[in-house]
Amino acid sequence: MDADPVAPVTGERPVGVAIVDDHPVVVEGVRAWLATEPRLTVLATGDDPDEVLRAAPAADVVLLDLRLHGRMALDKLAELSAAGRRVVVYSEHTDPQTMLAALDAGAVAFLAKHEGREHCVATVLAAASDRPYVPPALAGAIVGDARPDRPVLSDKEREALLLWFQSMSKASVARRMRISEHTVKQYVDRARIKYTRAGRPAATKAALLARAIEDGLIRPEEIGIYRSQASYDRPTP
Amino acid sequence: MSTETARATTAGPTGTGSTVAGSTAAGPVAVEARQAAAAVASVSDRGARIVVVAIALAWHTAIALPAVLAARADLAAPAVAAAGWLVVAATGVLAGVRLLRGVPLPAWPLAMLLLVVDAAVFAAAGEGQLFTAANWGWGTLGWFFVLVLWGRRVIGLLALLAAHSLIALVAVLGHGATAPADLARYAMYVYGTLSLPVAVFVGGAVIATLARQRAAAAATAHAMAAEREAAERARRDRRERLALVSGTAEKVLAELADGRADPADPDVQRRCVLAAARLRRLIAESDDVPDPLLHELRAAADLAERSGLPIDLVTIGTPPPLPVEVRRRLVDPPTAALAGARDWARLTVVAGPDEVVVSLVAPDRDGPAGSGPPTACDDGGDDGDGDGDGRVELLHEHDGEIRWTQTRWRR
Repeated sequence: MDADPVAPVTGERPVGVAIVDDHPVVVEGVRAWLATEPRLTVLATGDDPDEVLRAAPAADVVLLDLRLHGRMALDKLAELSAAGRRVVVYSEHTDPQTMLAALDAGAVAFLAKHEGREHCVATVLAAASDRPYVPPALAGAIVGDARPDRPVLSDKEREALLLWFQSMSKASVARRMRISEHTVKQYVDRARIKYTRAGRPAATKAALLARAIEDGLIRPEEIGIYRSQASYDRPTP
Repeated sequence: MSTETARATTAGPTGTGSTVAGSTAAGPVAVEARQAAAAVASVSDRGARIVVVAIALAWHTAIALPAVLAARADLAAPAVAAAGWLVVAATGVLAGVRLLRGVPLPAWPLAMLLLVVDAAVFAAAGEGQLFTAANWGWGTLGWFFVLVLWGRRVIGLLALLAAHSLIALVAVLGHGATAPADLARYAMYVYGTLSLPVAVFVGGAVIATLARQRAAAAATAHAMAAEREAAERARRDRRERLALVSGTAEKVLAELADGRADPADPDVQRRCVLAAARLRRLIAESDDVPDPLLHELRAAADLAERSGLPIDLVTIGTPPPLPVEVRRRLVDPPTAALAGARDWARLTVVAGPDEVVVSLVAPDRDGPAGSGPPTACDDGGDDGDGDGDGRVELLHEHDGEIRWTQTRWRR
């Protein structure tokens, strides 16, 4: 297992996190996980997204349980994402369709509840800086995506996703593919960025894409027709 | 189908095998045989129909027409003879087309029409032309009777020909040709012009019947052979599976029974787990389930879990239908690796229509011995890779952190 070193968040202020879950036990558990990381601070918790965000309007990242009071909160997720809220969905529903639907709705990342502390901390830290983080379960969903309008991935990207999904160890994937761990992460993240084009547009997707271009992870022409909602705008070839 | 044949073969040694197989085969085999026989009979009958149509129309145009035209001055009523010729020609064309297309005919109305024309032609011939070719009622009409009544019982044809002979006799007597020579000529003409159509009619019917019987017999024999072959194959498959099992389980069990193997020995325990996994998979293999690959993997995961190993089985996508041989090569290496796994294991399947990847990852307990370059062996299968269903490639490695077994099938 690895927790990818994520670049420090801008400024010294720790990342503010809001947790939305209808099981107090889970809230306490996640809070305990995040407490081990000094760069994170939990600002508010609760079972209603609107109330939680009223209590903590400055939250950088929202951890959202996709199933609230017995129903899937996909529309709430889309609403928050469209408003520019960085939402990390975490759920025990790890069927590929649900994960891809969450990405389409604008979630910055999808975390399976069983994936544990390291993935959770790494995902939240990456989300706060608009950078992708792909836990193994999400990698599996992407590599198994059979929808006709799915983004086109390169062979290396697919292989990296597949091996990451299988082994849950980027070091092992790197050894197996005979590339550096950094390159493995690049392949995986690039595949994820291509999914910012799927589904309806959302401010969070635009932010992820803009940051990826800024970081040199991907070029606009690599993801096909791209009309940015961010400041970056240039005609596609 | 397979369960049926299996039942038939198990009954074999008791001596009732053949009767069981016979009774289960009776339904579909009989229907198949009947269909095949009907097809052959219709092909054979079609040949005869073409012959009959050709003879009737050729006779009517090549022999009757020139004779009527040549002798038209000497006929008692040339117009009637000519009109009769046209009516019969039209009837012949209609009957011929319908016969060749297999459309049913209004046989008896047409037969009556032909008899009326018959009488008119004999009357129109007149005394002088009664026994010449210009009286085409003699030679031609018999063939048209055959045409109209094709495929029906021969008794109908005989009745029509009898009526035809009667009309001819009335005409002969009516025209006053009562001399012994005339009557002898009459008898000769009747015999000469009627025997051939009857022979062709009966011959055609007999050939079609024979063809049908032979085809039915051949089809039945083929179907029985196919059933026997399927049963043989089912038995062979079962024997092979049994051989696979005894290869692993029998030996360990025998050694344990003899006291040669110590149940406390971790290696013996490992062999037992491996044999159990293989047995479980072989049992799962013959189950009739919608998703056999996942079913077999789930069986292996169940077994591992029951012996106390925390295991994750994650599947993505639906595997396409795969032959049992490909499934074995996909499932065997990971399940064998599972038998040696400690602490935890992660079993994953990623499937698409053209590719299925099965992977087992477990912690590497033997330390970083193999931390060098990964050892990849391409297709360590024991049989050749010439199968048409694509290849299964096997990759096994350990890097000090994890042990990784991956099988991958590509179409």
